[in-house]
Amino acid sequence: MTGGHPDLSVDLGRGLVLPNPVGLASGTAGYGFELRRLIDIDRLGALFTKGTTLRPRPGNPPPRVAEVRGGMLNSIGLHNPGVEHVAAVYAPEFARWSVPVVVNVAGGSVDDYLLCLRRLEDAPGIAGYELNISCPNIEGGMDYGQDAAAAARLVAAARALTSRHLMVKLSPNVTDIAEVARAVAGAGADSVSAVNTFVGMKVHRGIRAPVLPGRGTGGLSGPAIKPLGLAAVARVRAAVRIPVIGVGGIMDAGDAVEYMIAGADAVQVGTATFVDPGAALAVLDGLRDAAPGLRARPAAALRGGTVPPAGVEPASTG
Amino acid sequence: MTGPPGTELLSDLGRARDEVGEVLEVQLLGGGLVEITARLPHLAATARPGEFAQLRAWQGVEPLLRRPFSVAWTEGDRCAFVLEAVGSGTRMLVALRPGDALRSLGPLGNGFGFDPCPARALVVSGGLGCAPFPLLVRALRRAGCPDVTVLSGAATGARLYPAERFRRGDGGVAVLEATDDGSRGHRGRVTDLVASRCDAATIVYACGPNVMLAALASTLAGLAGPPRRAEVSLEAPMGCGFGTCLGCALPVVAGGGPDAPREHGTAWALCCRSGPVMEVSRVAWPELLALPPAHVA
Ligand SMILES: Cc1cc2nc3c(=O)[nH]c(=O)nc-3n(C[C@H](O)[C@H](O)[C@H](O)COP(=O)(O)OP(=O)(O)OC[C@H]3O[C@@H](n4cnc5c(N)ncnc54)[C@H](O)[C@@H]3O)c2cc1C
Ligand SMILES: Cc1cc2nc3c(=O)[nH]c(=O)nc-3n(C[C@H](O)[C@H](O)[C@H](O)COP(=O)(O)O)c2cc1C
Ligand code: FES
Repeated sequence: MTGGHPDLSVDLGRGLVLPNPVGLASGTAGYGFELRRLIDIDRLGALFTKGTTLRPRPGNPPPRVAEVRGGMLNSIGLHNPGVEHVAAVYAPEFARWSVPVVVNVAGGSVDDYLLCLRRLEDAPGIAGYELNISCPNIEGGMDYGQDAAAAARLVAAARALTSRHLMVKLSPNVTDIAEVARAVAGAGADSVSAVNTFVGMKVHRGIRAPVLPGRGTGGLSGPAIKPLGLAAVARVRAAVRIPVIGVGGIMDAGDAVEYMIAGADAVQVGTATFVDPGAALAVLDGLRDAAPGLRARPAAALRGGTVPPAGVEPASTG
Repeated sequence: MTGPPGTELLSDLGRARDEVGEVLEVQLLGGGLVEITARLPHLAATARPGEFAQLRAWQGVEPLLRRPFSVAWTEGDRCAFVLEAVGSGTRMLVALRPGDALRSLGPLGNGFGFDPCPARALVVSGGLGCAPFPLLVRALRRAGCPDVTVLSGAATGARLYPAERFRRGDGGVAVLEATDDGSRGHRGRVTDLVASRCDAATIVYACGPNVMLAALASTLAGLAGPPRRAEVSLEAPMGCGFGTCLGCALPVVAGGGPDAPREHGTAWALCCRSGPVMEVSRVAWPELLALPPAHVA
C-alpha cells in the first residue's frame, strides 16, 4: 500500500485479510488470467474465481446470456475446467499474485464439495473458499442454498476439513435468507457473501418462448438487483455476527458505500466488469476518495449506523 | 503470459485497451448499412483483420452491455465499423453524429490467418459479413498476396457493401457480386461462386449468416480439390468480450481447445477468445445451425 492512502484493509477472520474491501465477483472474472491482461488486479481486495466443480463441466448450450432492462440473465452452467486443473495449473500462478484469490466451489452433493475442497487443500496460492450453495443454473445446484439444515450440514463438513477461510455465498432465491445465514454461521462459516443471482426469465414475443434454453430461466444480475441485494445484506447483517460481503448491482463507489451502510464489510463487483473491465478499480478509487475523513478502519466506519434492525422484516408495500 | 499453460490457442488480450474516441463520420450506405468512422488511435494502430471491439456510445444502464463489432478498416488514427440498426444498441450507434464520443475496448478476439500468405485468397462475404473484410483485403495485399477475390453476396443489390469499399483504391482486387433477387450480379447464393475459384493454393475467408457459412462448409467438403485452409468468422451473444463471463459459447468438434472442457464429442469454445475466426473444420455445423438465431438473444 502506498503511503498517504488510508488503510482500507478488512480482516474477515481466520487468516483472510483483504488489502481493501473491493473484490471481483465469482463468475465475472474467470480465474484472473484474462483480467490481468486488461487491468491491475493486484490492486484489488480479492479475486473470487469462477465456480469450480469436482469434474470439468462443459457448461450449458447457448445462448447463455441475454440482456434485460438494467441487467442481464446468465445460464452458464458452471462451465469450468474442474478442480484438478485449478489446483495443479492455476493455483501455482495464484501464488505469485498479490491479490488474494478465493476459490468459489460448487457441487451437486456434499461429497462433491468435500472432494473438491480436499484437492484444493494441497494447492498453494489460495486465500480461502467461497462455497457456492446457490447456483441457479445447474440441476440441484440450489438445494443447499434453499434448505438451511442441508446448508448447515454441508458447511459443518467443510469446516472439519479446512482451516482456511470459509465464506458461504447465499442464494437470494429463498423465503428467509436470514435463516440460512444463521444456519451456516452456526455451522462454522467464517463469513457470508450475499447475493448470488435472482432467478429470472426473458421471453421473446417473436418465437413465443424464453430466450434462454432448457428451463428458460437464468440468473439476473446487474443494476436492476441492487435494491434487492441491499435488502438481503441488511437482513443478513442483522442475523449474524460474522462478516458480510455485499454483492449485487454495484456499478460505482456510491453503490459500494450503500452496501456498507446496509452492513457489508466488503463488496464484490460483478456485471459492472463486463461493461468496464476497470469498474472494480474505479469503485476502489472512489472509496479511497471517500475514506480520508474516516479514521483507522474506514471500511468499518463506512458501515452501519443508519439501517434499522427493521430491515429484518420485509417492509409492507403499498 | 496470456494464461496458464495450455491456453496458447486463445487470443492475446495484451493489445486490448479501453479508449474513448470521437465519431468523425456516419455514412448511410443504402439498404440499411451504415459505416461509422471514429478517431480511435489505439484500435487503429493495433487491430488485425478479423478482430473486434466492444463498443459503447451511451451512459447509464440501458443498454447495459457493450456491443461487439468487427473493425472494418483503419487509416492513420481512424477506424471504421459497418453495421445496421437491429436493436437498442445498434440503433444508438447509427444515430451517432460527428463529435459524439465512442468508447472502444479492443482489439479483441482471434482474427484471420495469412502467414504464410496464400497464393490465392477467396473472401466470401454475406450481408453484414462484409464488416471485417476491407481490413483483411488490405492486409493480404500488403503481405504480397497476388490474387485476392471478394465474393460479395446480399439479399438485394441495395444491401451489397459497395465494391470499391472492399478495394479501398486497390485496382488489383477483384469483386464479384451475387444477390438472392438477382438485382445485381449472379442471381443466387454467393457460395455458388466458390467451387470454380478454389484450388490447393487458396485460403478461403468467410463471414456472414450461419446458414451461409454452413453451406460454404458443405461446398468445401464436397470439392475434389479442397482449399489449403478455410476460416470463418462467427458470432455469439456476448457478455464481456474478453473471456470472463463464459457467455459466448459456440459448438465445436471435440478437441476444441483448452477453454472447452468436453463431453460427448461436441464441446463449446468461446467466440470472444477462441474466435470469432475459426477454422471451418473446427465448427460443429449441425449443432450451430440448431441454435436460435442470434437476434433472439
Ligand atoms: C465478434 C462479433 C463481431 C460483430 N461484428 C459486427 C459488425 O461488424 N457489424 C454488425 O452490424 N454486427 C456485428 N456483430 C453483431 C452485433 O454485435 C449485434 O448485432 C449487436 O450486438 C446487436 O445489438 P443491439 O443492441 O442492437 O440488439 P439487441 O437485440 O437489443 O441485442 C440484445 C443482445 O443480443 C445480442 N445480439 C443481438 N444480435 C446479435 C448478433 N447478431 N450477434 C451477436 N449478438 C447479438 C447483443 O450482444 C445484446 O447483448 C458482431 C457480433 C460479434 C459477436
Ligand atoms: C455470467 C455470470 C456468471 C456467474 N457465475 C457465478 C459462479 O460461478 N459462482 C457464483 O457464486 N456466482 C456466480 N455469479 C454471480 C455473481 O458472482 C454475483 O453474485 C451476481 O452477479 C450479482 O452481482 P452483480 O450484479 O454485481 O453481477 C455469476 C454472475 C454472472 C453475471
Ligand atoms: S463474451 Fe464473455 S466470455 Fe466471451
